[in-house]
This record gives sequence, C-alpha cells and structure tokens, in this order.
Amino acid sequence: MENDQLIAIEVFCTSYDVEYAFVESLQERDLIETVIVGDARFLQVPQLNRIERIIRLHRELDINLEGIEAIQGLLSRIEHLDREIATLRNRLQFYEPGL
Amino acid sequence: MAFVDYYQILGLDKNADDKAIKNAYRKLARKYHPDLNPNDKEAQKKFQELNEANEVLSDPEKRKKYDKYGKDWQHSEEFERARQARSQAGGQEGQWYGGSSEGFSDFFESMFGSGFGGGRQARFRGQDYQAEIHLGLRDAYETHKQTLTVNGKNIRITVPAGVENGQTIKIAGHGGPGSNGGPNGDLYITFSVGADEKFRRSGNDLHLKADLDLYTAVLGGELVVETLSGKVKLPVKPETQNGSVVRLKGKGFPVYKQDGHFGDLYVTFDVKIPTNLTDRQKELFTELSKS
Repeated sequence: MENDQLIAIEVFCTSYDVEYAFVESLQERDLIETVIVGDARFLQVPQLNRIERIIRLHRELDINLEGIEAIQGLLSRIEHLDREIATLRNRLQFYEPGL
Repeated sequence: MAFVDYYQILGLDKNADDKAIKNAYRKLARKYHPDLNPNDKEAQKKFQELNEANEVLSDPEKRKKYDKYGKDWQHSEEFERARQARSQAGGQEGQWYGGSSEGFSDFFESMFGSGFGGGRQARFRGQDYQAEIHLGLRDAYETHKQTLTVNGKNIRITVPAGVENGQTIKIAGHGGPGSNGGPNGDLYITFSVGADEKFRRSGNDLHLKADLDLYTAVLGGELVVETLSGKVKLPVKPETQNGSVVRLKGKGFPVYKQDGHFGDLYVTFDVKIPTNLTDRQKELFTELSKS
C-alpha cells in the first residue's frame, strides 16, 4: 500500500480534534479498520469518509458509539436496498419505458 | 428575496430560550441529518435550513439583529454600524459540519454575510463533490472519454462501457483539495442512462422489435436486423409466428468492466399483414383460406 494512502492516527486526531482513545474505541467496535506499519498505527484514506461520518453523528447529534454502531448497520442496509431499488427500477423501465 | 422565519423552521415561538432552541435543533437535526438520509435531497435542504436557523437563533447577537430587523432586513446595515461601534471582539465557537451544511439562503447572507464566523474548524480531507452525467444508451455501449466541469475545473474521465442507469462511481482524489496535509476529497459521478427508441435494455441484455413481412414469416427466409455493433442477417424459419423471439448470443450490452463479455440480443418478430391488396391478391388469399 502506498504511504499517501495512510494517515497517521496522531495526525488524524490533531486535525479532527479527537482523542486517540476515541479512534481506538471505534476500532475495537469494528466501526473502522486501522493498519500497523512498524510501530505506528494508521488509517487508510478510503476510511476517512466513514470516520468523518461517525464523528459528525457523535458531535452534531450527540449519538453514542452504541447508537452509531446501530446506525452504521442500518445505513449499510439502506445502501443495499437503494442498489436493489435502482436495479428493480431499471427492470421496471423495461416494461414501462415512460417511468 | 424572501424573509426566512427561523422560529417557524425550528417550530418555536419568539420567546424560546436557549435550551428550547438547542433541543428543537437537536430533535430536528436527528431527523434530517444528511448522514442519516443518504441521497435524500429534500432532507439535505431541510437540514441546511435548520442549520441556518440554529446559526442565527443560538447566537445572541445574530438573534438580536434578526429579531429587530428580520422582516425589514434591508435596514440591517444600521445595526451593523452600531455593532461595530461597540467593538465587541471574538466570534462564537464554530460547529464542525464536515461536508453536510454548506449553503446559506440569500436572506442569511444579506443579513449576516456568507458562511460561518471565525471559529469554524478547518477541514482536513477535502470536500466530496457530486456530479451527474447523462448518457444515451448508445453512448453507454462503448468505453469513452468524457470531460466534465466540476467546480470550475475540467476533469477528463473514462466512462466504462456497460454503466447502468443510476450507477455511481467514485473517482478518488478528484474532490476538493485537502488542508493541513489532508488528502483531497473524492468525486462521485452518477450516470443517468436514457432510453433508446429502438433498443430496450434489461441488465446486459437488449431487446429489439423487428418488423417481418407475412410472406417471409410463412415461407421462411432472411431478415437484416440492426444491432449496436452493426447489422446482422438473421435466418427466419418457415411458419414463424407473430411475437416469437430469437436470441442473438453476445449481441447485447457490454458487461460492465468485463472486457469482451456481452449480454444477448432478443429479437421479437412483429409480423406485418399486407395492406392495400390488389384484387388478384385478395383472390389468392380467399383461395388459401379455402384450402
């Protein structure tokens, strides 16, 4: 993996003003994945979107980590259902092109 | 530019205290937060309204200005001059909204200027951008390059053959620039693939209706049909019924990101009854009907 795809957790914590322990607790709950290179722990850049969302839910809506876990599960289901709806809508358009 | 009733947006009366404002905002924000309502433009709009209302009503100075001049916002300059005279320094502590709360109404910007005050936390990862590309069915048939303008910058992308209507692809790093050494945001492109007047698509398969004259349907022969990769000669069996379907393997739509793989083309015969028959032809059909 290229290094520009990794963000040191300390850098992340400073930039987003969060505690290291907060990131650790997200990892313990499997809400995010981290990577260890040498002695340091890193976040992968594609994970940033997800962790930013977690921080927003936590800060803006005062949702605790248990709530965020539940929300993440529901959002995955919504994503899956959205894809299914898009597929079904395309299939329906085959029979009713005006839709 | 219309007056915006921030109290109404938060469902509050004008005497609401700070706690009531905070509670109302929290309750509605939980309902309309974009992270809880992915791809819901209405919720996103509502959330922006909530943020704007909260931004004004939770800030004593802004609230005072709004209460005094809200309905008469054109004269708010007087307030501004008085405020500057008081020389009150410092801004409110900013709220961190990530990418979820951009955009204020003209009303807000007219009264308070654009965006948040100084305390807002800097972004690390750049903002994600969304774009939509409209394609015809035939455009989506072939991999091609396309240039799109996102936030004033031209980006040349490769549109892979076989994209589905409604499909979204992510182009990493082509969103807004990061700050403080953070990575760029991503660009999300959603494809809107329009219908074609001849071909209908079902996944990777295509369907085509082909006119077939009665004589070829009865006696058999050949029919030239159009496919998206050119015309093909199709053998027609004798006594082919109206509405019967033949499958042309591999003549359908390309399978997304699987080079050389194609769906099938289904051709439905639409047998055409001859019109404007001559007397002789009518005689022959009469004869046939009696045979």
